[in-house]
Amino acid sequence: MKQHKTGLIVWVGAVLLLLAGALLAGPRERAETVQEAMRDAVLHNVNQVGLFGKAVNPGLISALIVTAVLLAAAALIRIFAIPRFQYQPGKLQLLLEEAVGLFDRMARDNSPHRFRFVGAYIFAAGAYIFVGTLFELLGIQAVTVHGHPVTLPAPLSDVNAAIALGTLSYLVILSGGIAANGIRGVGKTLKEFSLPISMSFRLFGALLSGLLVTELVYYYVNLSFVLPVVVGVLFTLLHALIQTYVLTMLTALYFGEVSEPSPKKEKKASGGKKPELP
Amino acid sequence: MPWPLNIDPQQILLHWMNLAILTGGLYFLLYKPVKEFMAKREEHYRELDRQAADKLAQADQMKSEYQAKLDGAGEEIRQARAKAQQVAQQSAQEQLDQAEAQAKQIVAHARVEAERVREESLRDSQQELRRLAEEATRRLALRQDPFDQFLDLAEGGKRNESR
Repeated sequence: MKQHKTGLIVWVGAVLLLLAGALLAGPRERAETVQEAMRDAVLHNVNQVGLFGKAVNPGLISALIVTAVLLAAAALIRIFAIPRFQYQPGKLQLLLEEAVGLFDRMARDNSPHRFRFVGAYIFAAGAYIFVGTLFELLGIQAVTVHGHPVTLPAPLSDVNAAIALGTLSYLVILSGGIAANGIRGVGKTLKEFSLPISMSFRLFGALLSGLLVTELVYYYVNLSFVLPVVVGVLFTLLHALIQTYVLTMLTALYFGEVSEPSPKKEKKASGGKKPELP
Repeated sequence: MPWPLNIDPQQILLHWMNLAILTGGLYFLLYKPVKEFMAKREEHYRELDRQAADKLAQADQMKSEYQAKLDGAGEEIRQARAKAQQVAQQSAQEQLDQAEAQAKQIVAHARVEAERVREESLRDSQQELRRLAEEATRRLALRQDPFDQFLDLAEGGKRNESR
């Protein structure tokens, strides 16, 4: 009991000491104002990162890192975990089966006529959105073309990534319509012409809002205590789940709608046509 | 003219490429193998279920067969019992008839034997009488024997009584 009290006092003392130090140290000399930081968080036109000699948005670097991490993890799982799968699953196997089964069921439920391709696509898109959104929690640093450090954001907080995912999802839906109904499927898909824009900017808006709040919080050191636990971790987790669910569900839903076979029109009994004699 | 919001078609294409690689890679490395395993396990349990259902059906069939046999055995036992009773009755009747016939035969044989014994006794007694008569005749014929005397005396006494 006495040891517990001592530990508690040490912990509170350390927290107060760090708080006092942070407040007394004062703000560092900033390379940009909060307005510039927020504007750059939206546009990514200042703090760009070099990629093979071209300046690109840091979101693209994040996207490549997320893809590399996901593929590496998938390869390791494929090599080491999947051959050891048992009929009575362990924890990792249960997690993987639940993840795959979740998107497979979502595809089957929303697109019962064609679900194999869309299931695979929403699995990848879901993994990308979820892991990509949580990626911003890592706070990986990169160096801009101007030599300043920049924290890599979530890939989808870059408007180009959001547009790419939104339009790719629309193309997937379009492909389902063409595969199931041909030209009619194209018509059914084009009817939802606002879908790529809504999908893209929904993702962009959701991720950007999180990014802006996080930027704002971290811009001021006084807000960097306790608040980041809620803003940085819980909100990020929450909207990672929500955005994953929303985009994958919408994609599966619209895919199912356009790939549903059109009912054949019943031929009207023509009065002039004589019945064929046996 | 630059695009608004720093939209860059080249970067969009790079994101597309990135997403295409990710989709293909995750499909072949994770999604497909896990789904195949799940399908294999489902098939395994479906096979077990099918085998259990087959065994249950076989057990039901065997049960109904044995029930039918049991029902048939009751009827069979009843028929066998009736047949055994019939055979026993028939056997008893045959034995009764046989005993009756044997008794009749014994009685007939006894009658024949008795008749034969009676005739033989009659014949023997007749022969004895004849032999005695012959002996007596012969004795009378040859000499006066005490018997003749007796007869004479017997006749003389009768005469005196008659007087």
